[in-house]
Amino acid sequence: MFRFIAYRLAQFPLILAVIYLLTFILAWVVPGSPFERNDRKLSVQALQRQQEEMHAEHWYTFLGHYPARVVLHGDFGPSLSYDGWTVNDILHDALPVSISLGLLALIIAICCGVGIGAMAAVDKGKALDWLSLSIALIGISLPSFVVASLLLTVFAFYLHVFPVGRWEHISDVVLPAVALSLMPMAYIARLTRVAMIDVLSNDYVRTARAKGLSRRSVLWKHCLGNALLPVLSYLGPAAAATLTGSFVVEKVFNVPGLGQHFVNSVLNRDQTMILGTVMVYSVFLMSLNLLVDVGYALVDPRIDLGARQET
Amino acid sequence: MAQGLCPTHMRRFLLIPAVLLVLLVLSLRLSTGGGGRAAQFTFINRGEVNTLDTNRMSWLQDIRIAYALWEGLYTLQSDHGTAAGLKTVPGAAERIDLSDDKTTYTFHLRPQARWSNGDPVVAGDFIFAWKRMLQEPADYTYLLFYLHGAKQYSEAFEAWASARQQQLAMPAPDFKQVGVTACDALTLRVQLDYPVTFFPDLCAFPPFFPLHEPSMRPFAEAEDSGHTNYKSAFMRPPNLVSNGPFRLAEWQFHRKMRLVANQYYWDRGQVKSQVIDQLSSEDPQTSFLAYETGGADWLAEVTGDTAFGLAQRGRKDLHVFGAFGTYFYTFNCNAMLPDGSPNPFADVRVRQAFAMALDKRFIVNQITRMGERTTTQYVPPGVLAGYQSPAGLAFDPKAARRLLAEAGYPDGAGFPHFSLLFNNEGQHAKIAEYAIKQWADNLQLGDRGTLAGVEINTFRQYLHNKNYTMARANWFGDYYDVSTFTDKYRSYSDNNDSDWKNPEYDHLCESAEREGDADKRLAMLSRAEAILLKECPILPVYNHVNAYLFRANVHGVSLNPRNMALLKEVWRE
Repeated sequence: MFRFIAYRLAQFPLILAVIYLLTFILAWVVPGSPFERNDRKLSVQALQRQQEEMHAEHWYTFLGHYPARVVLHGDFGPSLSYDGWTVNDILHDALPVSISLGLLALIIAICCGVGIGAMAAVDKGKALDWLSLSIALIGISLPSFVVASLLLTVFAFYLHVFPVGRWEHISDVVLPAVALSLMPMAYIARLTRVAMIDVLSNDYVRTARAKGLSRRSVLWKHCLGNALLPVLSYLGPAAAATLTGSFVVEKVFNVPGLGQHFVNSVLNRDQTMILGTVMVYSVFLMSLNLLVDVGYALVDPRIDLGARQET
Repeated sequence: MAQGLCPTHMRRFLLIPAVLLVLLVLSLRLSTGGGGRAAQFTFINRGEVNTLDTNRMSWLQDIRIAYALWEGLYTLQSDHGTAAGLKTVPGAAERIDLSDDKTTYTFHLRPQARWSNGDPVVAGDFIFAWKRMLQEPADYTYLLFYLHGAKQYSEAFEAWASARQQQLAMPAPDFKQVGVTACDALTLRVQLDYPVTFFPDLCAFPPFFPLHEPSMRPFAEAEDSGHTNYKSAFMRPPNLVSNGPFRLAEWQFHRKMRLVANQYYWDRGQVKSQVIDQLSSEDPQTSFLAYETGGADWLAEVTGDTAFGLAQRGRKDLHVFGAFGTYFYTFNCNAMLPDGSPNPFADVRVRQAFAMALDKRFIVNQITRMGERTTTQYVPPGVLAGYQSPAGLAFDPKAARRLLAEAGYPDGAGFPHFSLLFNNEGQHAKIAEYAIKQWADNLQLGDRGTLAGVEINTFRQYLHNKNYTMARANWFGDYYDVSTFTDKYRSYSDNNDSDWKNPEYDHLCESAEREGDADKRLAMLSRAEAILLKECPILPVYNHVNAYLFRANVHGVSLNPRNMALLKEVWRE
């Protein structure tokens, strides 16, 4: 198991280096400049000066300066569009916000999704199943900006239950978290339902019931665990996406998280910021995928990560 | 055969939500910054502030904050009842002596003027800022070229820095050649090459603000070339030292900026609010909801459909007023287009035809709907006292068809395909669609016109590199003088997106620059604008408006065309 983890961790630097290079190439060739985002045109001297200051005159000056600092100091450099802030400052500010939002959204998604999916599987074909399917369908089909705007208008504006556009108290987290949780909740509910139906049809379940175990005990102790394996594999990428923030939800609720920076950095052509956010996302994704794989082995004794394939 | 997971393994699943819950609590502690003391006035600015380096500023929201944090030799003050809405008054200088030939200004600084750390404001602070402006060129460096020797110094410094980079020996340029000297700590003498009637306005503009060198010094990084960069941390609290009505107490990126009254400001008695919060909000809908639920006292930008909807409902808290800016279409005036094909718009008659074949009323009545006025002129009328904009080309489709025929395209025959470039944001697409249809109908061009909508930064790059045939554009004045508009179309101006060159226009602008008599000067500029409107490198469409939202309990928010409400004057009951 530890060899497996070590082997996967050893791959990280190479994968990250490739991602960095590919992202840099894309960010560099796209038309537009981070220094000329205004209606005024900068004079040649002024543009050159700003480019020199930011080591962004040519692709080789950029690559000659920034990657070394990333590797040696973990410093992504200054933001090219927001004077006064380094990429690390912005990440330091925005990451805990996105993580809190994502964590609450995940908790809601997991608890409600598993609950709805399990109940639907148990009451297959009946009203509860139909209700859960509807919720799942709505969660997957409705675009997040529609859900977010609806929640904001109804709960914050009309009902005044939650505040608008602030990030200072716990209550500010609830609405965006609910909006963010709907899509993963829908997927988790569907996955759980399908897996549960499959598990419930197994012989050992009938055996357990025949032995006299209560329905609740059978469901909770013997079925749910197996049904959650597909959910676990979905959780890896879902967590990575949710924890790093959703641009739409963050924009609508004015959450100062990382999701906005993903998109704004591209719109602003802020190459250092683009690289910073992409690296963060990549590290998250790879770590969470590794966690999921390790998690499989921990919860399912049938899986042996260290085993070699018999040829 | 496997029966499935045993209960202990099942319990491990519960670890997941449990761990997530713990992490949630931890991250919430880290991320939610406590509100602290409530502000006396809260507003939502146009967007997040891009920079607090006065030398580099060009965005409106940054300049708005700059007027709160700094004060120049002159400063702005609300002037209710005038079209301009603002007047220029002495700021950090209490007395200004002007020589008889109006080229030498002697500023006597206020002895009681202080930086936010208690240091006195001295002449050297202005010299440091202006010198830096010339050494590190930025958007508005060209405004300092009115100073004697400034342009030469800037170019010499650039040459010297290049030489140093190539390890060539060259004597360093001497700043003493520039016409600004500190006679003593409280006296600054400025020498211009010729009288500049609007020099006080320039002094009230952020690029001319002073900088506090001692607080910036720890962040200085000298390059081998001789340039000095300042690490951006100098503009963040608690490092930023400023001399205006407020100091920067807090800056949470993309959340909030807190301005607290500067206890050392010489005019602190006139500062109406002691604590002002600027909230950062990019989504127009969310900004509006935040204002509606009482989260903000003043919403400094209300756009498009929201504004129209509110106006329809007769909202008393919506304030719409004329802006110091014009929306227009710009033509590429080069003989050849970027793709090598001949440019039909190189012919002035074609440009005039297009200008006269566009009925702009539909645009302001049905698309923008904010009470904008259509215009045939470039400089917004009625703002600049004493200036008379000449008449432009009125809507006249018959004359337009005649002109097009004279240019060699009778009834539109043979006119090549052309595209209209715009950015997809806002209402530009709708306006462009309508314009293309107008030209198709009135000039019988059929489907020769196409729409080219791109993302905004791509749009800007195409526009600035003259990689377009016709494009949408706009321009807002930076200071209350005609030259802020007319300078843009000088042949050698970096901002001349049309590449239109007219020696007579240049000559008139240059003569006006040197002219000391205000009336004669404005007459010259009016003649220059007349040439511009006749030659038509641009097609003026309408004058912009500004829209604010604030309730009756808010006072001091000035509704001036420059969109510059002064935070020193705002307060809420």
